[in-house]
Amino acid sequence: MNYLELLKLFAPETIVVVTALVVLAVDLTSMRELETRLRFSIGGMIASVGCAAAILGILVIPERANTVGGMMAVSPLTQHVKICLLALTVFTVLISIEAKFTSHVGEYLGLILLATVGMMFLVSAQDVLMVFVSLELTSLSLYTLTAFNKRNIKSAEAALKYFLFGGMAAAFMLFGLSLIYGLTGSTNLHAIATALAGKGLDPLLVVAIVMTVIGFGFKVAAVPFHLWAPDAYEGAPTPSAAFIASGSKLASFFIFAKIMMIGFAGAEGSAAFRSFVAGWTPVIAAVAALSMILGNLAAIVQRSVKRLLAYSAIAHAGYMLLGLMANSSEIYLSLIYYATTYGLATIGAFGVVALVENSMGDDKLSSFVGFSKRAPVAAFAMMIFLLSLAGIPPLAGFFGKFFLFAAVLKPGASSLGLLWLVVLAIATSAVSFYYYLKVLKQIYVVNGTDRKDATNVSWFAQVVLLVMAILVILLGCFPNLLVGGLQACLASSG
Amino acid sequence: MAWIVKNLWLVPALPLLAAGLSALVPQRSRKFSASLAIGSMIGAFLLSLWAFAHALQHNGHENAKEVFNFAWLQFASGDAGILKLGWVLDPLTAVMLVMVTFIGTLIFIYSTGYMAHDDNFTRFFTFLSLFAAAMLGIIISNSLLLLFMCWELVGLASYLLIGFWYHKPSAAAAAKKAFITTRIGDVCFFLGIMWLYHQAGTLLFYDNGAGCMEQTALLKMVTQTTYFGLAVSAAIGILIFIGAMGKSGQFPLHVWLPDAMEGPTPVSALIHAATMVAAGVFLVARVYPLMAVHMDGAAVETAALQAVAWVGAITAVFAASIAVAQNDIKRILAYSTVSQLGYMMMGLGTGGVAVGMFHLITHAFFKALLFMGAGSVIHGCHEEQDIRKMGGIRNFMPATFLTYAVGMMALSGFPVFFSGFWSKDAILHAAHGWSVSHLPFYLGVAGAFLTAFYMTRQMALVFLGKYRGEKSQSPRHHAKSPLVVLKGVPVGGENDPHESPRSMTMPLIILAICAIALGAIGTPAWPWFQSFLGDHHGEGFTYDVIQLMVTSTLVVFAGLGLGLWLYGRKQRNTVDEPDVLEKLPMGMHAWFANKYGIDELYEMTVIRFNAWFARVCATIDEKFLGILVLLLSYFTVALGWVSNAFDNFVINLGFDQGCERVSRGGKLMSRLQGGRVQIYLRVIGVALVVLVLFLIWGGGK
Repeated sequence: MNYLELLKLFAPETIVVVTALVVLAVDLTSMRELETRLRFSIGGMIASVGCAAAILGILVIPERANTVGGMMAVSPLTQHVKICLLALTVFTVLISIEAKFTSHVGEYLGLILLATVGMMFLVSAQDVLMVFVSLELTSLSLYTLTAFNKRNIKSAEAALKYFLFGGMAAAFMLFGLSLIYGLTGSTNLHAIATALAGKGLDPLLVVAIVMTVIGFGFKVAAVPFHLWAPDAYEGAPTPSAAFIASGSKLASFFIFAKIMMIGFAGAEGSAAFRSFVAGWTPVIAAVAALSMILGNLAAIVQRSVKRLLAYSAIAHAGYMLLGLMANSSEIYLSLIYYATTYGLATIGAFGVVALVENSMGDDKLSSFVGFSKRAPVAAFAMMIFLLSLAGIPPLAGFFGKFFLFAAVLKPGASSLGLLWLVVLAIATSAVSFYYYLKVLKQIYVVNGTDRKDATNVSWFAQVVLLVMAILVILLGCFPNLLVGGLQACLASSG
Repeated sequence: MAWIVKNLWLVPALPLLAAGLSALVPQRSRKFSASLAIGSMIGAFLLSLWAFAHALQHNGHENAKEVFNFAWLQFASGDAGILKLGWVLDPLTAVMLVMVTFIGTLIFIYSTGYMAHDDNFTRFFTFLSLFAAAMLGIIISNSLLLLFMCWELVGLASYLLIGFWYHKPSAAAAAKKAFITTRIGDVCFFLGIMWLYHQAGTLLFYDNGAGCMEQTALLKMVTQTTYFGLAVSAAIGILIFIGAMGKSGQFPLHVWLPDAMEGPTPVSALIHAATMVAAGVFLVARVYPLMAVHMDGAAVETAALQAVAWVGAITAVFAASIAVAQNDIKRILAYSTVSQLGYMMMGLGTGGVAVGMFHLITHAFFKALLFMGAGSVIHGCHEEQDIRKMGGIRNFMPATFLTYAVGMMALSGFPVFFSGFWSKDAILHAAHGWSVSHLPFYLGVAGAFLTAFYMTRQMALVFLGKYRGEKSQSPRHHAKSPLVVLKGVPVGGENDPHESPRSMTMPLIILAICAIALGAIGTPAWPWFQSFLGDHHGEGFTYDVIQLMVTSTLVVFAGLGLGLWLYGRKQRNTVDEPDVLEKLPMGMHAWFANKYGIDELYEMTVIRFNAWFARVCATIDEKFLGILVLLLSYFTVALGWVSNAFDNFVINLGFDQGCERVSRGGKLMSRLQGGRVQIYLRVIGVALVVLVLFLIWGGGK
């Protein structure tokens, strides 16, 4: 395979890289003198167009290929995930257009795009080395995005914590991956699986598995590797937090599932009730259970909505980890649907939080009092997002949970052993109603000071939020819009 | 199978679609719903013509009945568990289809004029279309069940349309009366359906030899006997006939039909003169094989047909005598309809399908004509219906007068030129030759005399002499109907009667032509209609026939002459003048005018019993069941109290404590979040150790 073909195969990624550079260059050269808002608009439009072009590119290039000696793979499934990723990126860019926290527009948008490139490569990766490199590209961009509000000391602190924690986790993961290389003599996922087959679970492999789980546990913010998340979400500029919670999560979960299911195919063990067998599923089961419990409980007492959303993100990571338990290729379907719709609702919620921050100065729960009177459209959108996160039918969040739980319970005889996890998930999601409704109560019910003029929401922000809210409703009513395509992908990839 | 047979369902489907659509559009889209209804009717008419042409072409084949059956639902396993529905195209269907769609189209057009000022114009056309759909459904259905469904739909549409002006209490009451009275017949009808299904195992009329009107099933039913020595087939036939009696207003279930005249006049013309009431006659014609089947060699007519003939004959003369003493223009026509339906039944009972159906068709045309003419008169006289307050209208409404006269001649059976003469004569001829008794024939002749008499009386009072209505009133109606004034119709005074708009007179003229011309298809000289419907015993002008014709002509002339002598010679001058007939001995006029007191009799017996029974039930309900319910309610309240206490003290307390614990747990969890990054990193190390140990020890078990 020559480089031209490689370029063609990864044209979407290339387009996004070029877009990042264009945004950077345009901003640095010709827009220096302009007003920030205008620069953000122009830059945002360029970035969105670039992402759209990348989506178009994905739709035209060949659907299935294995390149660079099996390091990277392109299949309908990865293409689908990439489209979802790019869509989430576009929405992130759109909600950051109103931002006031920085004047370095080109750098900010460029970093978002570069992080997106990292995620896209991550999705395609078939080799642990490639996984690590892509992961680092993503992470480094995200650290910087977290630190972007230079006027706020909390932003810097959050970024530092995120960076230190992330560095440590990356070190653990790299250690784990090198152990695996030592055990199997290969970095390719399929080769690793072949080498591990039939060997049983020796302690070195156990350590390697746990260390890999730690690396990804950090990425998806699962307990007990979540400690960075509340601080980072709270301190980071709101669009950055939204991006960390949405796109990054989708990509990480996808590759997490891939490594566990393909790489450690022989070592899954069992987390079934009373028939526990060591392997990676019990580890993930423990992490998932802890995430669901801690995320949902800790969210209750939060005063800051961004922190609340951070804990909610932890809880949702728990639900999605539950999906990994199913350990079958159909789970990709539920997982992608869940992660995408969750990302959509989260970006929307953070977008609304950003609006409140812009007008009220902080994201305290009390700042949301009377929001429905000040900005009825945004308040309505927020209601849709939060109810979807809580999992109320017919919104997308409900069907996400439904598909996920159904997938966990579906296959074969051993499946009902996982019932304890599903019951736990349902119980904790009942708890989650409490804190989501707490926010809605502030918005709709509590009567506060009449500061009608305090929030001035631009029509553009309203349109973006409304579009996302409608998408959440539509995807809930017609899950096939998303899942139908995926089903076809899975069927074709066998 | 021909396309038209396969797709015969389109005929009722078109008006049904129109009904559905105009039910959905807002009330103000009058033009849309009217044109939709008329368009769908014209479409149905064209399809019917096609079906008729097909039937004509196909006639004379071995099997003139073409059917299309399909499985509707499966309620039990096996072939017997499949319920089949279907439709049939035979001469009977074809003739009825053309008649109903043709008259329906005319009446729809007429209604646009008649109902022009009504607020609920759209709703009216919705109901009319619904009615037309159901009626056409009855005609085409090849299954007694499908027929029954449409039958009930027709009843519903009739109910809705009689009560169309529901703000009038009399209209609401009449709608209720019609619905309940026909329901009494329907109960028996349904019993008959059940019994038939039990006996034959199918409700399809024709199914390639397996239908319930075909030889196998009929033979099975005629050989069994049931109560009173009746053959099962005859018993079922009588039950079905009771259903037909309800719908066709046969004595003693006729009471609803005159009251039904409370509905708008087009409704009376369409439903209560031309089509729906004829459905009963049609039903008898449809199940005629069942009624007529008898044991081989038995010479007597079957009990079912005897019942049909007797009920028909009694109704014919009974209703005609009531019509003599009525003063409401529509009521006279209503009783006349009842009487004519009696003739049709008599024709069916004594002469067979063709005789009854011939009168049904001709009657549909001239009775629709009469009703629409009456509607025109009522419209012109500012909603006046009392014939004593009319008079001399021929000068104001020439078109209406001429067409009405044609209808009246046809109904009276004026010789040779009018269709009614030929169809009525066929019935009288059949009754004359009936083997059981000659009494129906004499009743029929008496009815013919009365018919000629009361129609002459009506004509004389309405159209001859001079106008007796009030003339010096404020011009209220003209203000309401600018349409009429704009059309430039010559109006004398502000309040004089006026001719109706073109949309109303055109249908009248068309119908009048039909009322004359239709007689030609069924004369003894050329009995095309009879042979088309399958009766082959045309005799031509034999001595018998001519003798009978002369007799009936004399009778009709006697009626006409007496009517003219009593009412035409010397017109009444005031409204309150007593009727000439009041001089009759023994208070006969009072009997006629009060409809023999049948309504009062029902009031005294059935309704009073019903009310008494209702009171008894209410008492039982209050005194006996009420106490039970009361006890039950106390029990429920006590149970509620207990569970309330349980809720408050056990569940809520527990829930509150649980919630508190959840909150405390949340606080504990967030305390983990110290903000010190060193501790965070240490947690990773601890987690690694714990998880590894967990796996290794866990796996060792």
